[in-house]
Amino acid sequence: MNEARCTQAKVFGKTPCGPDAFLLELEFSAEIGQIDPGQFVMLSLADGQGPVLARPFSFYGQTAPDRLTFLIQVLGIGTQVLQDCPLEEFIQVTLPLGTGFALPDANRPLVMIAGGVGSAPFLLCAEQRVQQGAGDQTFFIFGARSENRLYDKQAFASLAMHSRFATDDGSFGFSGNVIACLENGLQEETFPENAVYFACGPEPLLKAFARLVQAKGFEAQVSLETYMGCGFGACNACPTATNPNGPLGAWPWAKTCQDGPVFSLDSIQL
Amino acid sequence: MGAQSIFVMTLSTTIGSLSLHTPLLTGSGTFGHDASALSFLNPDDLGALVLKTVTPQPRPGNPNPRMAEYEGGILNSIGLENRGLHYWRDKVAPELAQIAVPVIANAGGHTLEEYVEMTIAFSEMEGVEGIELNLSCPNVEGGTRFATDPIALAQVVAACRVVTEKPLWAKLSPNVESIVPFAQAAEQAGADALTVSNTFLGLLVDWRTRQPQLGRGFGGVSGSGIRPLALRFVYESAQAVEIPIVASGGAASAKDVLDFMVAGASAVQIGTAAFRTPDLLSKIAQDLRALLKEDGSTIQTLIGSLEWPSL
Repeated sequence: MNEARCTQAKVFGKTPCGPDAFLLELEFSAEIGQIDPGQFVMLSLADGQGPVLARPFSFYGQTAPDRLTFLIQVLGIGTQVLQDCPLEEFIQVTLPLGTGFALPDANRPLVMIAGGVGSAPFLLCAEQRVQQGAGDQTFFIFGARSENRLYDKQAFASLAMHSRFATDDGSFGFSGNVIACLENGLQEETFPENAVYFACGPEPLLKAFARLVQAKGFEAQVSLETYMGCGFGACNACPTATNPNGPLGAWPWAKTCQDGPVFSLDSIQL
Repeated sequence: MGAQSIFVMTLSTTIGSLSLHTPLLTGSGTFGHDASALSFLNPDDLGALVLKTVTPQPRPGNPNPRMAEYEGGILNSIGLENRGLHYWRDKVAPELAQIAVPVIANAGGHTLEEYVEMTIAFSEMEGVEGIELNLSCPNVEGGTRFATDPIALAQVVAACRVVTEKPLWAKLSPNVESIVPFAQAAEQAGADALTVSNTFLGLLVDWRTRQPQLGRGFGGVSGSGIRPLALRFVYESAQAVEIPIVASGGAASAKDVLDFMVAGASAVQIGTAAFRTPDLLSKIAQDLRALLKEDGSTIQTLIGSLEWPSL
């Protein structure tokens, strides 16, 4: 495993993405090394400006051995200062952090469910699956309120896997939310029986996802988005309630930043 | 002796019988329960690793959310989440004996007896070089009793003093009108040093939801916004006692560290600012070496050198 470290990276590109998000491309001074899909970084302005705490973001894409991209929805001051940061300026980065997705073997089907910016950890997952020759056994359901919030959807649609899009307002793809789209796929027996299910998105989506896959007895992992103080396990400010009978043991809390942000669904209480 | 080692010598300081490579310490509760975050730092840059509070019994901690931000720092109410002494002794302490940096363990409790139990336990652990008594956590029920009554504080310190030979530090609360009686009480009870101080009791609310931002309501304020408040307490404590002062409260740069030392601190804990920049202590150590070289001064001559205006 690649040990977490602090570094600085230059803003190489900023590409608007939908009405409220952008793709931030950072250039590092050296090769980044191994990162796992679902792991994350903490980002803040290197000059010390901006809010007191850094902000967590999933690895989105890797465009070169020394360049990474992050899908960032601008929701508050921490994300605003990143969007406002000029090209060539430096960002403070701590990486790689946390526990990512445990990708199933290439011959085992994978179904990934994303809501809005919850798509962020799935591009790397999908790319790895396609590289492993498992694209045909990889299913991706991407839902959002409307088409313009299916951030960077072309990046997913262009991969040799089964992508399906859902919008609440019916402006693109399946009309309805991502869970309804998943249920629809299950009814139509689109997904092979022994598939593993991944999900990332807002809490109501994850709760609905958990109810559904637990009722069916599917193996599942979820990536959680939680307020974090440090991102490296020091502050205890990002607790996730554990399942006392689950693999994380009897302690009531897991550290989302270290034990997660990706958890097997049976290890936590959503 | 190469130039490098001369620079390392330049930053060395002492807290009672403890010799430290540098005056830079982690603040309890901000760098974990164990040594894992040390990987961000060059061990030569760190004077001591002060770990998060351990209590005799496991404590699940407070409900979410546990932390919120404002322009000057953060508000936290973690509630001393920890797995208790037995877990720590079995799983954490053995690793601490292997690391290159002195470890100061931090003890919490509800009663005098619990502090004594922790002090005895830490005394028996090979990897623990010193003990900091957390007499000031604002985030637990009854946690401020020892912080607001100098007699109760002195009783705890005295009782812990007789059961350990290891350096014993008393971490004082800032949530008092004057820190002087507490500093003097801890000194008279046998503390080897004082950590001055802890988080200030505070509140952040969200007017839209009409709710506090933290799950428990109140929390402790830390970060650069409290630095002038902590600096005052450091200065007043240093004037009032002979034992060394370890400053804790909003330091985020080499300049801040030197300000605290001039006001009377022999070492300075860095906490909140390292959340954003986990290698911050190494950066500060480099900057300290440069600033001292530029100023032609040493750590020893700077400690307590503040010239108070004569009126």
